[in-house]
Amino acid sequence: MKGDRVFITGMGIVSSLGSGVQEHYDSLRNNRSGIKPLTLFPLSEGNRHPAGEITGFEWDRSVPRTHGLALAAAKEALSGRNTVPDAVIIGTTTGGMALTEELLRKGEKRPDCYRYHSTSSVAEYCAAALRCPGLIVTVTNACSSGSAAIKLALELLRTGKATCVLAGGADSLCRLTYYGFNSLQLIDPEGSRPLDRSRRGMSVAEGSAMVLLEASASAPEGAIAEVLGGGLSCDAHHPATPHPEGAGALAAMGRAIEDAGTASSGIEYINLHGTGTKDNDLAEAAAIRALFGGAVPPLSSIKGATGHSLAAAGAIEAVVCSMVIRDGFIPGNTGCTDPDPELKVSPVLKALDKKTGTVLSNSFGFGGNNACLVLGDPAAPRKTRPHGTAAVFEILGGACVTGAGDLARTIASLQEGKNCGGTLPLPDISKNLPAREVRRLKRLTRLALALALDARNAASQDPASIFFGTAWGPLSETYDFLTKLYESDEQFTSPTDFVGSVHNAPAGQIAIWLKATGANITATGGDYSFEQSLFAASLAAGSGETLLVMGADEHHEELSPLFDGSVRAGKDPADGGGALILKKTESPAGPCIAPLFFENYAASPGAIASLVRSLGGADGINATCAAVFAGMPGGEKASCRKQLDEFLDATGYTGPVIDYRALLGEFGTVTAAAAAVAAQCAKEGMVPAALASGAALQLRGKRLLMVGLGSFVTAMEITA
Amino acid sequence: MEQLINELKEKIIDTLDLIDITPEDFKEDDPLVGGKLGIDSIDILELAMMIDKEYGIKIDNKELGQKVFSTLRTLAEHIHKNRKG
Repeated sequence: MKGDRVFITGMGIVSSLGSGVQEHYDSLRNNRSGIKPLTLFPLSEGNRHPAGEITGFEWDRSVPRTHGLALAAAKEALSGRNTVPDAVIIGTTTGGMALTEELLRKGEKRPDCYRYHSTSSVAEYCAAALRCPGLIVTVTNACSSGSAAIKLALELLRTGKATCVLAGGADSLCRLTYYGFNSLQLIDPEGSRPLDRSRRGMSVAEGSAMVLLEASASAPEGAIAEVLGGGLSCDAHHPATPHPEGAGALAAMGRAIEDAGTASSGIEYINLHGTGTKDNDLAEAAAIRALFGGAVPPLSSIKGATGHSLAAAGAIEAVVCSMVIRDGFIPGNTGCTDPDPELKVSPVLKALDKKTGTVLSNSFGFGGNNACLVLGDPAAPRKTRPHGTAAVFEILGGACVTGAGDLARTIASLQEGKNCGGTLPLPDISKNLPAREVRRLKRLTRLALALALDARNAASQDPASIFFGTAWGPLSETYDFLTKLYESDEQFTSPTDFVGSVHNAPAGQIAIWLKATGANITATGGDYSFEQSLFAASLAAGSGETLLVMGADEHHEELSPLFDGSVRAGKDPADGGGALILKKTESPAGPCIAPLFFENYAASPGAIASLVRSLGGADGINATCAAVFAGMPGGEKASCRKQLDEFLDATGYTGPVIDYRALLGEFGTVTAAAAAVAAQCAKEGMVPAALASGAALQLRGKRLLMVGLGSFVTAMEITA
Repeated sequence: MEQLINELKEKIIDTLDLIDITPEDFKEDDPLVGGKLGIDSIDILELAMMIDKEYGIKIDNKELGQKVFSTLRTLAEHIHKNRKG
């Protein structure tokens, strides 16, 4: 199936405009807006602005609202079919925040109440409901998450490793995002009026959309649209403000159009990001003028109708663009009555009937994260183009931070048989970072920057793209933001903390520091976040490209024990992470890393047997594997031990098994630190005695296997 | 006014964690943003929040913000003119 085309064969959508595709068609065709006063939670005096709330939405209250929205859209996308997707890739920025922030205000201390807090739990919840056995990726790229998720799904289908993927985005309204955007003065008190001369900002909204994507040589029955291409970029300019000339937007649009095998002249409609903020609309219009010159196709933003549903927006707009293609209409730029002449582009003001074959959908977000998609008529004949090569990731340099310090100190401590788990004091983490420039950055972003700079220095090469994994994101900023908000009866909070609290803030900062304008993906997959970021890298990095793949988490005194069962199971607080500078190449000259395996244990109880088969069976594993680095999260220790025993029984493997969490600490992305240690072992051709059950182990060309156990069974290999 | 300006210097340094800046580094008529103090647009929003909290004065849109936060003196004058009591 490799190289085949990718079609949208099912879609589901819920937003302030209604539930389901039909209601959206009716609303958009009639220029209705769903923006109205917010009722979901009370707003403080002076801060009552309209929002894109979904009124009357019912869901299973045992999960947070975002989860309910995501499942509603997923069910509609699959409606009437028994299809089980091979993979689920979902973008979300808030996860269970709407519930968490209420629990925190009440002072709730029972960890069980927070079990759906994590962003990863949204995709996991949908995957469980759909019995998806395979790869799960959670993309947390702020407002471009939904589109970035669809781009990753497109690439996964192109590799032939999946034939059917559910992808999309979901976010519910919550105080964090509402008051956050309010503190940035980015909410229009009169409701969003994208592209209007008098626009003053966005309307924060909620929603979800999912698409079922299938790889096929030609349009399958019921195909709604074809996903022709996607493009990712990073502004590397500012954490929360777009590049004034839209340089990143221009790059992402250009890459999407090129990936689609067309030219700007082939685009017949542009669905704008069009949030209604002064800066976004100016930058986006500038980028469009630069790309399309005097031949700008019809364009509109639907955010004056839906509001801005953050991670859901890109997926919602992909569904709307599919309707544009199937139903032959262009939605109007609701909310805009007097287009801003400064933009020098003219939006379609009212919905109109028009047959449209190829459309471009734009999504841009905080962190300068941009994702654009090109969708087309599924019935149009197209040449199949080959995608991807047999490239591998050569490791050019690595870094880690543990309680013991940097990579050299961590390895030295391990060699002395010492436990490296712990939390380094903030001044130690920041010792190589210029004080003034990091004054606003808290623990996680400092950790991430320190790791990125260390890895860059070790490799002596700057990465173009960044793949960042984090289980919990910036906990300090999240906590501080909510604390200030509640202490002031929801009157005051910190815009700095809001900007810093988004999960992709660290990756956005790294991009600014390293001027990395390529793809910039933040994957938030709980204990498997580093694996997810490496999988994302394998899907989105260009051939010959230098990239940074990393993972980091911070320990937060209040939140970490509430959220993370493994932190509770661990002896001492621990945090840190690891970073690798990689080169995607067909002819590696040194150690390499590759993602090999990812299965959802709940839906695939035979995952260990499947893992053994995929690694070459017992003989293959014993012949090629020097040591196993086993990731066994403390919160799931008993089931991990069972899985490990099953692996050892099935393979008869008797080499060293390194339980790295016991050595490096219990935190979500400790796997990244372990990968940096393993990469160093591969570089030196040996595993130190203290790790290899007593005697130093020469690799002699054998590989190191990193096996993740627990809720998900994963494997990566590091070859010398 | 002088007293208010000195008070603001302290509050700005404190609010923005300008660790290596002293009140003497502030010149009343220098631009607040983009100068050697390293203050940017997010800092200005942080200061708007602080001004609201400390002085009960709202500076809640970009156009007003650009005028008021032009220099330390324009900020002090705005507060002086609008504070109650």
